[in-house]
Amino acid sequence: MNNALSDCTIAGPFKNAAAPFAATAFSLFYQASALGLKVIDNSDQNADGAFSFTFKAPHTKPVNCVITGWSDCAQPDAVSENIIQAACGLMSVHGRSSGTIQPLGLHYVSTVTAALALQGGIAATFGQLRGLALSDSHISMAAAALLSTSQYIADATVVAASENLPPGAGRSTAPPFVSADGVVFELETLNADPWLRFWMQLDISAALAGKGWTAFLLRYAKAVAPIPAELVSALAKLTYLDIAELCADTGMSICRVRTLEERVDNEHFKSEWLRGPWAFDFAAPHPVMPLKPASGSLPLSGLTVLESCRRIQGPLAGHSLALLGADVVRIEPPGGDPLRGMPPVSEGCSVRFDALNRLKIIREIDIKSPGGQEEIAELARHADVFLHNWAPGKAAQLNLDYDDLIRVNPALVYAYAAGWSADGGAYAQSPAMPGTDFMVQAYSGVAQKISQACGTRGGTLFTVLDVLGGIIAAQGITAALLNRQLNRTGARVTSSLLGAATLLCSDDYQNRHRFFGIATPAKSLLNQVFETEQGKIAIECCDDDTLQRLVQTLGLPADSRHKYLQQLGGLLLSKTATEWVAILQQAAVPAAVVAGNLNNLQCDSRLKPHLQPGSYTKVTSPWSFQ
Amino acid sequence: MPITVIIPTILRPLTNQQKHINLEGNQVSEIIDHMEQQYPGIKEKLVTGGNAHRFINIYVNDNDIRFQDGLATSLRDGDVLTILPAVAGG
Repeated sequence: MNNALSDCTIAGPFKNAAAPFAATAFSLFYQASALGLKVIDNSDQNADGAFSFTFKAPHTKPVNCVITGWSDCAQPDAVSENIIQAACGLMSVHGRSSGTIQPLGLHYVSTVTAALALQGGIAATFGQLRGLALSDSHISMAAAALLSTSQYIADATVVAASENLPPGAGRSTAPPFVSADGVVFELETLNADPWLRFWMQLDISAALAGKGWTAFLLRYAKAVAPIPAELVSALAKLTYLDIAELCADTGMSICRVRTLEERVDNEHFKSEWLRGPWAFDFAAPHPVMPLKPASGSLPLSGLTVLESCRRIQGPLAGHSLALLGADVVRIEPPGGDPLRGMPPVSEGCSVRFDALNRLKIIREIDIKSPGGQEEIAELARHADVFLHNWAPGKAAQLNLDYDDLIRVNPALVYAYAAGWSADGGAYAQSPAMPGTDFMVQAYSGVAQKISQACGTRGGTLFTVLDVLGGIIAAQGITAALLNRQLNRTGARVTSSLLGAATLLCSDDYQNRHRFFGIATPAKSLLNQVFETEQGKIAIECCDDDTLQRLVQTLGLPADSRHKYLQQLGGLLLSKTATEWVAILQQAAVPAAVVAGNLNNLQCDSRLKPHLQPGSYTKVTSPWSFQ
Repeated sequence: MPITVIIPTILRPLTNQQKHINLEGNQVSEIIDHMEQQYPGIKEKLVTGGNAHRFINIYVNDNDIRFQDGLATSLRDGDVLTILPAVAGG
């Protein structure tokens, strides 16, 4: 376990949370324990419509942290993990590749909510030490979900004329692939050349391989991958071993979809789970540690974060810190990050890019040149945080590794948002395994967990690990900043997509090892998406009381699950999803119309407080502080 | 040989905001050279080291030129050349 915040205390009704918040409470308990916090369970202080806990550091006042379902605390609609997934568009994005809108099969929103709530408490406490009178931090599950989908919302809501994306998006034969001997696996490459070499070896024409490449690239942008059937068929004729050899020959990467048990039962991964998704390495205490007072009302205002990151995970981490008030200076190559042109574009910039980078100050620096490296070191001398997500080993090549920068600034928090491992496992050094979202889903067991819940072959094309990876990177940085103030040390904090995957499976680890003194959240008794007369409805009954209310409200037979499920499906076809949601919410049964088109999210009054219309719809900060 | 070139939003400041340009040329490289003559500065956004830039996709009709003959890909009357910046995640 880490000891980043071993002098701090968190107290709340973790073991007796109301059912909708049980998964959040479990994840909070786990995350706080892994950070070294003293965790106090106050199971008598419980409320149904919210989950509250306090965060306390030495010499500060307790911060009261409140988690609600919707942003408006007075909003009476019952929530649950999957109701929020349905209402905020996660199910819709997840369902694009399979053509079936359904839950992710993970406690995803609950885990993201727990990470953001804990970060809010840490940040507010840090704000107190910097002169702010912050005593309350609030976050909602809906706000956490919207932050997770902010890039997809940007893409769906752009006002400017749509870009001419290549044809083929839609229902498809998306990865993972299956070999002749039945092994399910992911392929990955970041370049077109290995892709072409690989398929040419399988007698696929260059033109067809090219169509496959276009489809392959759509995974990240649109959560679809309409791979031509000929490519899928070609792989289905070979054994996994033959395909792996072909990958080695052509420079492609391959990873089979591993079972969760393979990781849960492994001692190395058990120790990673016990440590949590961050690895901290503290510098020697420094006699003169700068205490920068806050320059605004937000807890990180007046701090400088230097960011050299690409794509989603790292930029989202920097964005989170900017939402907490930090001045984030983003280093881009001369001419700017090419992904600024990634469609769709509005007002001269990719909206997907802008969604994660709009609050940052841009500095164009050639990091490969000695002069550029000197310039970055000079910027780091005066910064509070340095954040990168470079490939393994690149920081040392650039003379911008932890040892290089902590020498010029002993107070620096040096953060690495990695792909594979927080502590540099063997796979992290392997160029054959790029640490991308879908490879890590396959390797970690997350893909298998999703496939079991959804009846699909593999994981999700919604970039769950990039998003959660970015959130835990920012959370680890915030913890290191508070630790810096408490113990006068700079730090290295490393997080990874694999760590995010382990966090998402922390209930499976706990069920196997029973290390932490808390039960895992119970499985919902009913959790399904149904067709109605108009639109789809998601219903989730987390406990028996809720299920009984559903049965009574709809006059279903109470004696047999099979019978009531059968009747429920038919009955729901008699009214629209909106009408049913009103009836069920009146009975305090969590239900929501499934948001199919993300463009409609801004019409939901429960979500409006976190959506800012404009040339595209921006997701605002999930935190509010008082 | 008229070829229609579809310009992505990000490059339109270089083409006086034109979304479509009609040019003559037998190969993709010729089209790019002709574009450069009319709209100086656009070639360096598309080509590096004699190849299409890694972050730029160029399609002839629906086919990515990386999987044809690259910048030497031949063109026929009425072809549509689409320029599209890359997408990425991770």
